[in-house]
Amino acid sequence: MRILVVEDDAEAATAMVRGLTEAGHEPTHAVDGAFGLLEAQKGGYDVYVVDRMMPRLDGIGMVETLRKDGDQTPVLFLSAMGEVDDRVAGLKAGADDYLVKPYAFSELIARVEALSRRRETGSVATMLKVGDLEMNLIARTVHRGDQEIDLQPREFQLLEFLMRHAGQSVTRTMLLEKVWEYHFDPQTNVIDVHISRLRAKIDKGFDHAMLQTVRGAGYRLEA
Amino acid sequence: MKLPSLLRRTPFRLTLLFLALFAAAASAILAWVYFASAAEARVNAEREVRGEMQVLAGVYDARGFDALNKALIDRSLTQSAFVYLLLDEDGGTVTGSLNQSPIETMESDRQWITFPFTETDAEGRVRRPQVRAVQVRLSGGEMLLVGRSLGDTEAYLARLTQALWGAMGIVLLLGLAGGVLVSRNLEKSMGRLNKVVLAVQEGNLKARAPVRNSGDELDELGAGLNTMLDRLEASMASIRHAGDAIAHDLRSPLTRMRAKLEVSLIDAEAGKIDGVDALQLALDEADNLLKTFNTVLAIARLQAAAGRTPDPQRFDAAELAADMAELYEPASEDKGLEFSAEIERGLMVEANRPFLAQAIANVIDNAIKYTPTGGAVMLRARRRSSGEIEFSVTDTGPGVPEGDRERVIQRFVRLDNSRTEPGSGLGLSLVGAVLEAHGGRVQLDEGPGEYGGFGPGLRVALVLPPADAA
Repeated sequence: MRILVVEDDAEAATAMVRGLTEAGHEPTHAVDGAFGLLEAQKGGYDVYVVDRMMPRLDGIGMVETLRKDGDQTPVLFLSAMGEVDDRVAGLKAGADDYLVKPYAFSELIARVEALSRRRETGSVATMLKVGDLEMNLIARTVHRGDQEIDLQPREFQLLEFLMRHAGQSVTRTMLLEKVWEYHFDPQTNVIDVHISRLRAKIDKGFDHAMLQTVRGAGYRLEA
Repeated sequence: MKLPSLLRRTPFRLTLLFLALFAAAASAILAWVYFASAAEARVNAEREVRGEMQVLAGVYDARGFDALNKALIDRSLTQSAFVYLLLDEDGGTVTGSLNQSPIETMESDRQWITFPFTETDAEGRVRRPQVRAVQVRLSGGEMLLVGRSLGDTEAYLARLTQALWGAMGIVLLLGLAGGVLVSRNLEKSMGRLNKVVLAVQEGNLKARAPVRNSGDELDELGAGLNTMLDRLEASMASIRHAGDAIAHDLRSPLTRMRAKLEVSLIDAEAGKIDGVDALQLALDEADNLLKTFNTVLAIARLQAAAGRTPDPQRFDAAELAADMAELYEPASEDKGLEFSAEIERGLMVEANRPFLAQAIANVIDNAIKYTPTGGAVMLRARRRSSGEIEFSVTDTGPGVPEGDRERVIQRFVRLDNSRTEPGSGLGLSLVGAVLEAHGGRVQLDEGPGEYGGFGPGLRVALVLPPADAA
């Protein structure tokens, strides 16, 4: 995946470029919004990772310009400011996701990959299929093999998110944000308990465990 | 104060402007009085001249030219206010107080004129008062002029004008002096305020303006400045306090992390653990540190908001409470606690949604943490009869003795330096800060009481003011 990293902090950028390369991506670094804009206009990127505060053209200005030009490439905003209004301002400017510094690198990778995937599955699907796990989004039923799995509404949403991002790591924070739609720190790992309940329903009695824990990152649904 | 600098002062400039306006108004009044008095004097003179002329014309008509001539001579001696002149058919002077008529050619039989008349008064002074006169062609072709001096009126007007100019001069002088005085006074008062501003600029936040409670604007400005500085100083103090607390809250986890890293290093060197484990431990500890840091920042931000809700939103808190119940129910049951929720519908609040969610979550989290297995945790959300919205979490844990509740609430509200336990106390401080920023409060009560080895339990209520009906 080609990723444009627009970040004025050279050290942070170097670490990010290295990490993204090791995760199997092709990152390119631009040192500020103006260079970022030039680079982005060359095209061919799958995701932009944009720091919010930069000299010359800041992240908001850059993303607004890109969106005005009709560039719909997913944008992940990075910011040292985590306030709600700040998050709203970032999303309003056209960013697709928002990550507050400092972040765990696994969180960044997970979100970048989730963003690129989102674009691929832009069309309206009625069925999701991962391995022998099938989800009917209309009838709201789930089958694994020929066995029907009975899920609570929230468990259904949780599984839907995991299936849409099958093969990718998703973090606990992402799950709380995207499935529960809350941005806060739940202190104890309440998400883990929800996952273990879901795991009990989809994996229990099957030889192959699909819902896997990724150490230091979160979870991953594997076919 | 030198004059050029004086001219730049607002009060002095205002004084000058005011004086100029006053002078213009006085001149206008003066002109009006002058012209009105002059017109009045002329009208009066004309009336008297007309009366005299009527009398004299009567003498001429009844008794002829010579009788008129004689009457004129008589009257010249008695009627000093009048001027007479009798001319024959050829315009030659017959008798009168003038040598010749000021009218060279008569365009009609009766003609009015105003002209200067030279006279010498009793003390020998020469005066040239204006005379208003009429000249009439008599039936025999002779001409008679009768006039009356406007002298009295003129003298009066002259005195009036003089008096008014004099008054204006005094007013201008006093006004200027007053302007200078007021400017200097204001300069002094402003100087005191400026001194405070300068002192603050130089970093002395303790500087205050003297306030005399005289109720004037400058005094009010001074008082306002002082209040502003008080507020500023208080918020600086609270930032400093938050800074101290942050330092305190971060020192213990940092120390712990350092110790763990050191031990891990020794263990790794001895081959007891591998380096990855040590790094993972350090990373976990760093994450905890970040969490603590973020919580402390959130508390500081809420306290800096000083009672104003940051980014308020109107929303149904019942949904939020239901979401929190749904989020925490599995964790609670995992620990072997019975979790229940009772949530009324339609609880509109105006609040910061993420912060309120965090507050409720922290209280539930705390209840789950302190209630032993086999106990129960219950979340209730309802509207009190007062209209306030209440979220309460009741547990069957050991509770807090009544005598300690006040202290615990204090800890809820304040960043408490005496806190030693990592994590949990900070979570409750955040709850207190959230409620305070929303104009709400935290209440602690006993739970359901003791039974079968449980209890007495704790009931923590978060009370929020209702959203305005608007």
